[in-house]
Amino acid sequence: MKAKFPALLLLLIMAAYSATAKETHATIVYDDVATELSGANEEANQLWVTKADLTRATRFELKPQGACQEKLCFPIPKARKQEFLRNNSGKSWFNLTAFAQLVQQPVAHDAALSTWYFGLRADQRQTLNSLEAPNFTLPDINGKMHSLSDFRGKKVFLVTWASW
Amino acid sequence: MAQDTNGVKDAGKWITEANPKPSYTVLIDDKHLVTKLYNMVNVPTGVWINEQGRIARPNEVAFADDRFKTFTGMDSTPYINALKDWAEKGDKSAYAMNEEQLRQKLATNDPGIALAAAEFGLGEQLYKSGHLTEAIPHFKEAQRLNPKSWNYKRQAWALSDSKRDYGTTFKDEVDKIGGSKVYYTPPDLPAEKKP
Repeated sequence: MKAKFPALLLLLIMAAYSATAKETHATIVYDDVATELSGANEEANQLWVTKADLTRATRFELKPQGACQEKLCFPIPKARKQEFLRNNSGKSWFNLTAFAQLVQQPVAHDAALSTWYFGLRADQRQTLNSLEAPNFTLPDINGKMHSLSDFRGKKVFLVTWASW
Repeated sequence: MAQDTNGVKDAGKWITEANPKPSYTVLIDDKHLVTKLYNMVNVPTGVWINEQGRIARPNEVAFADDRFKTFTGMDSTPYINALKDWAEKGDKSAYAMNEEQLRQKLATNDPGIALAAAEFGLGEQLYKSGHLTEAIPHFKEAQRLNPKSWNYKRQAWALSDSKRDYGTTFKDEVDKIGGSKVYYTPPDLPAEKKP
C-alpha cells in the first residue's frame, strides 16, 4: 500500500498538470516548411499539437490505420496509444515528438523561441540504400520549380556550388 | 545547384553574371535540401544519375574547370574525361559504378548525421526569422555532430563574423588540416579504363 500511494499521487498530479497544460505559441518546421501554431503544448521536451494543427503543419492526418500522409501510413502502436493521443481542454492532441521517435525522425528544438525542426524521417533517408537518386523540387532564379524526376530518361550531372 | 541559405540574394549574381550564360538548369537550394538528402559535405560535389534515376557515381568533388587549381592543386581534366566517357557509354563506362561499388561508397543511415541536418535546418530557420544569435548554437551543434561537413561550417561562418561567433575562419581551419592542397579528396577514378 505504501508503494502504491506515491504512484497514485504522481498519476493524479500528472493528470491535473495535463488537464491544465498551458497552450503556447510554437513554430514547427516540417518538410522544410515553417508553420506558426497559436496553441501548442510543450511539456518536458515533448510537443503536443491539435489534430487540426498536425495536418496543417505536417500534412499527416490521423486515420484508423495510423498517421497518414497521402499513401504513406505509420500505424500508432495500440499498446502505446496514450503516448501519442490524449484529450484535454475539449481538444484532441497528438504528440508530434513521440511520433518523430516512432518514425526515426531527428528533432532539433530551440526552447527560448519555441521553434521545432523535424528532419528527414528514416523512410526519407533510406532512398540512398535503394541506389535511387533522392528526388527534390527546387526553384531556378525566376522561381520556376524543377524536379529531378522531370529529367527521367536523360542522364543528369548533378553538381552543387555555393557563393560562400 | 546553389547551396545558399540566402538564396537568390547571395547566389543570384553568380547565375546572371555567368559568362557564358548557363545552357543547363541552375537551381537555388536555400534550405540545403540536396546537402541533406545526399549527405553532401562540401562544394562542388557531383553525382551522376542515369536515365532510370539511379545513381551511377555518388558524391565526389566535381570541378568542371581549373579556376580553383591554384588553391586545390587538382587538375579537373581526368574528372571531365570520365564524365564525357559516361555521357557517351552510360552504364558501360568504366567510371559508372556497379551496385556493389555503390553500396560501399554510399553513406550509411547515421542518426548523428541526420540530427546534424536537423540542427542546421533549425539554425537556418532562426537565422531567416531574424534570430542570428539564437541560430549560432544550433549551427555549432550541427558542426559538432557532422564534423566532416564543410557545408555546415562554411555556410554558417558566411552568415556572420566567423572569428567573433565561431572563434575561427575558413583559412584557419584549412591550415589546421594541412593546407588547401588536402582540403579536397580527389575523385577515386579507375586508373585505367576497362576494355
